[in-house]
Amino acid sequence: MSDYKKLPIFSSYEVNPKFYDEIFTQNKEVRSIYETLFNLFNEYQIDDFQLLNEKAKASFLNQGITFQVYGQKEVKEQVFPFDLFPRIISAKEWSHIESGALQRSKALNLFLKDLYSKKQIIKDGIVPLDMIVSSENYLEQMNGLKVPGGIYNHISGTDLIKHSDGEYYVLEDNIRCPSGVSYVVSNRASLKRNLFGAFNHYPAYAVDNYAENLLAMMQSVKPLGVDNPTCVVITPGIYNSAYYEHSYLAKAMGIELVEGRDLFIEKDFVYMKTIYGPQKVDVIYRRIDDAFIDPLVFNPDSLLGVPGLFKAYKKGNVCLVNAPGTGVADDKAIYTFMPKIIKYYLDEDPILNNVHTYHCNNPKELEYVLNNIDKLVIKPVDESGGYGISIGSKLTKEEIEAVKKVIKASPRKYIAQPIMSLSTHATYIDEVEAFEPRHVDLRTFTLLGKNTEFVLKGGLTRVALKRGNLIVNSSQGGGSKDTWVLKK
Amino acid sequence: MLARVANNLFWMGRYLERTEHIARFINVNYFSSLDAPNEISQSRQFVLKSILYMVNDTVIENDEEVDEKKVLFDVALNPENEFSILSCFKYARENASSARDLISIELYESINQLYYYIKNYNVDLFVNKGLDDFTATITKETASLRGKINETLILDETYAILTLGIHLERANQVIRIINTKYIDAKSSESEISDNFNNSYEWTTLLKCIQSFDMMKRFYKKAPVSADTLAFSVLNPSCPRSIMNCLNTTQKNIKILSDRIDPNSTSYLISKTTCEYKYMSINEIEGNFSDFIEDTITKVTSICESIEKEFFDY
Repeated sequence: MSDYKKLPIFSSYEVNPKFYDEIFTQNKEVRSIYETLFNLFNEYQIDDFQLLNEKAKASFLNQGITFQVYGQKEVKEQVFPFDLFPRIISAKEWSHIESGALQRSKALNLFLKDLYSKKQIIKDGIVPLDMIVSSENYLEQMNGLKVPGGIYNHISGTDLIKHSDGEYYVLEDNIRCPSGVSYVVSNRASLKRNLFGAFNHYPAYAVDNYAENLLAMMQSVKPLGVDNPTCVVITPGIYNSAYYEHSYLAKAMGIELVEGRDLFIEKDFVYMKTIYGPQKVDVIYRRIDDAFIDPLVFNPDSLLGVPGLFKAYKKGNVCLVNAPGTGVADDKAIYTFMPKIIKYYLDEDPILNNVHTYHCNNPKELEYVLNNIDKLVIKPVDESGGYGISIGSKLTKEEIEAVKKVIKASPRKYIAQPIMSLSTHATYIDEVEAFEPRHVDLRTFTLLGKNTEFVLKGGLTRVALKRGNLIVNSSQGGGSKDTWVLKK
Repeated sequence: MLARVANNLFWMGRYLERTEHIARFINVNYFSSLDAPNEISQSRQFVLKSILYMVNDTVIENDEEVDEKKVLFDVALNPENEFSILSCFKYARENASSARDLISIELYESINQLYYYIKNYNVDLFVNKGLDDFTATITKETASLRGKINETLILDETYAILTLGIHLERANQVIRIINTKYIDAKSSESEISDNFNNSYEWTTLLKCIQSFDMMKRFYKKAPVSADTLAFSVLNPSCPRSIMNCLNTTQKNIKILSDRIDPNSTSYLISKTTCEYKYMSINEIEGNFSDFIEDTITKVTSICESIEKEFFDY
């Protein structure tokens, strides 16, 4: 196809030479992997698309596939915007991503095991001690504790971007409670329904096997002496922003979705209150942050957790997925050591690239950061959800001065990275009723169990819907796309 | 099953059923008053007060005037009122959300869809001309929700608890409707050619519990007080009757428990069911207000017993 711009639904599509566009080359040619899809899409009129788009939105709302946004007056339920143009990843590219994600998860697990026992990596001078003990997510209570199956980060979400050089880079590792997998599954369901004519032209992997693998992983890390473990998912409750995901996962695994008040501890064992009395619980996939899991050990004001849970865990009577204290390793400051961590534990070179990072607690690097804020992204090391991020090129002079002040006040809290160019992808934009390029990233989901490992063949492609926006998080107005990983 | 979630399922069933009864009561009473046979039963004030009494036990004196639009808004769409259709259905949905991993996707989706329909219904449209559209859609959709409960759930504890909630609430609502209409029949009695025994209110009552046409088929004559009470209270083949509610309750409690000791809910339900099975219409007619009070007390005791035995851990 010579010029896609002649087609009405792509007429306003401008490929920006600064970014890698996943659909079109700089010569306005469709990349070969998208050709079939592109031809199929061109059989649709704008009106068809408008209609499909509305239909998809309504179906998400009716199914209650929503997240909650806390306004000043009331809690609003919102649909996570879903874009009908899927992202396609070739088999070759995927095998690179998959082995890289798995490598990182394994290295992180060994790192956590070491940090909470011998601390050899610190003794060997690879990672500085103050990097660890200054982290808010380092849990003293985890020291010397043997976790079931030796697994800490059972579930890892790796955030990747495709830079302008066409290479994937890891932006961050999420090994506390990475979310979003339910959208991978519901996006696929919706796409298949709405664009059934397109999906069957590509040999893509199914994504609905995540839940069965998650359950198998949970069962593999059962406490010693348990034959058939009772597994549950624990949620903060129906008003939590990710409640849909919690209920989806419990339902898809066929296990109970509990709240803290449904559980109690007796003689250091965990029980849930059922209609027939107490039933012992062995493995808990907890979607509650560390600070809230046990008011006796952590935040004493927590009403979400279970008093005595940590003691039961410490005694090996229950397994928590993920382990408490994993946050120390997905800290954005630790991220920068990942290549060294991988080399140290696995004696392998990192498969996936890291983005170069400047540590503000290093005086030399701090100086560079303060002088080059306009070229950098400044991130707080311990926030998630896209909060607290400043993109230097978008700041006014006054704002730059303000950011400088904040960094100087607590340098340990900040890192800086060059502004990475997230790739762009064709995204249907309501207001203009046409496709426009929008920035995307990719979150993959990796499971580690006792002698089991699994990477979901697919992932959450998040898209920044605002023109020019680089932040893709749902809490910041992002949407998502179905992601097809091809078998060949 | 978690005790908390069982409690949610029970109340989900109760609120779904309550929503339907309120919607139908408003619809039937409002519209049948338009061509009612006498002045009192035609009076808008009479009907609105009857609706308020059924929905929330609100008694308004005869000489006090109520505002039609305000009453309709209060019983249907006022989010501040615990008893409005909007609030009832909101609670139904909240309970469904807590039990979301146990109920079918189809069922949850339909509840959600109806919730948005109710929540987004335009208030002005409703109080001016949308009354029939709004209430009729709700009765239609709640019936379809029951269909999804019956056709998409596993017939296990989830189903049993939901069904218990639905039928105990139904017994509760039907008895309240009977009581309201009994009082209405009494107060419109004075008219010539319209005595208590064959009052127009019996027709309305049967329509409120969706049993008018079937009752006529059963008795092959226009409803009079005794037949109406017999059909709506004691007839086991009338799906809305107290008798059928108790029978269904008795069947479903057995899915939950095989206890038969005198302290069990199962025992209490069986005992109550037997009392109604051998009750005669004369006993009811002879002592109507005691009968109403007694039935409400018995239904409440069953609910409390379920709560104590299954939800309270």
